[in-house]
Amino acid sequence: MNAAKAITPADLSGMSEAELRKLENQIARKYSGRLPWEAVIWAFGNTAVWLSLWPLVLLDVIPLWLGFIIATLNMTLCYLPTHDAQHDIIARKGQKLRWLNEAVGHATTWMIIYPFNVLRVTHMDHHRHTNDPELDCDITSKADGPWQAIWETVKHRQPNGKRAPDYFASLARNGREDLVLLAILYRLAFIAIIGTLAWNGYALEALFLWWLPFQLGITYIFFFLSWAPHRPMTVQGRYRDTRSWKSAVGNIGSMGMQYHIVHHLHPYIPLTQTPAAYRELRPILEARGCDLGAN
Amino acid sequence: MQKLLGLVVALLPLIFAFAFLVPVIAQGMDALSLQAPFGLPTLTFALMVGGAWGLVAQLTGRWI
Repeated sequence: MNAAKAITPADLSGMSEAELRKLENQIARKYSGRLPWEAVIWAFGNTAVWLSLWPLVLLDVIPLWLGFIIATLNMTLCYLPTHDAQHDIIARKGQKLRWLNEAVGHATTWMIIYPFNVLRVTHMDHHRHTNDPELDCDITSKADGPWQAIWETVKHRQPNGKRAPDYFASLARNGREDLVLLAILYRLAFIAIIGTLAWNGYALEALFLWWLPFQLGITYIFFFLSWAPHRPMTVQGRYRDTRSWKSAVGNIGSMGMQYHIVHHLHPYIPLTQTPAAYRELRPILEARGCDLGAN
Repeated sequence: MQKLLGLVVALLPLIFAFAFLVPVIAQGMDALSLQAPFGLPTLTFALMVGGAWGLVAQLTGRWI
């Protein structure tokens, strides 16, 4: 279909609920179905860059401070391709390129110490129960303001934090207790790797190329993917639980999350298509009374 | 196996402290040319600080 050709009528006031829904789905489908190659290149390119930092730093080709900056960018950027893969956007089950979808998912999440399938199961649970205080496994991101949001993500990553138990509860609800063991093994493997590096004289490299970039990256990810688009995280419902907003750091700086409302309504649209889909869906979202901020 | 894994997970803060935090403190001090107090070897000082921090995290459930 031609995504460039807008199909939204000028006046939506006379349309029934069913007609609005039909039009919304029609627009959304225009922006789906294309293989998002950019996500595939992004996933493997980002991982390759991060892996290359290790020999580059260890062989003194680049200084550790530069490696730290690049590694922090890598950690921050590694989640979005796997997010597309979690939603089977690259290829669904039974499709020819299904292996690529799974490869993208697995190639990226290990850097942030999560098994791909843990993120997939818990993220689907988040979509089913967005902002539900009991069932949304990302509800620990709830906070009154940006600084509190950053503090909450740090707090819930502590040994007594609530995020890991919430994720494990989500896995149990979905009958995937087997993934709890896998998640623990990932964590232990991470400590084994950075511990081995550290006791062999590379503690600062492990600190500045992995541990600290991971902490900064995951804080950024939780801030922009979890807190900002769902705040105040008290409202539930298809057109209420996620919002659009104008980020001070722009759409790229906020990792495309200005248009996260489109993702929650139509999660089969690739990330790179959500701005265009949002612009065309906007009159419908407005008619639905969605929180669209200044966008 | 499950019991062993449970024990390892329960002791994760202490394991992290001795596996990673201690060498980070020691090598960080060396990189900054910092001397440990009372003429202690850097590694001994790192074991004391990192071990104590890990113990606090283990007992309270919080690193910070």
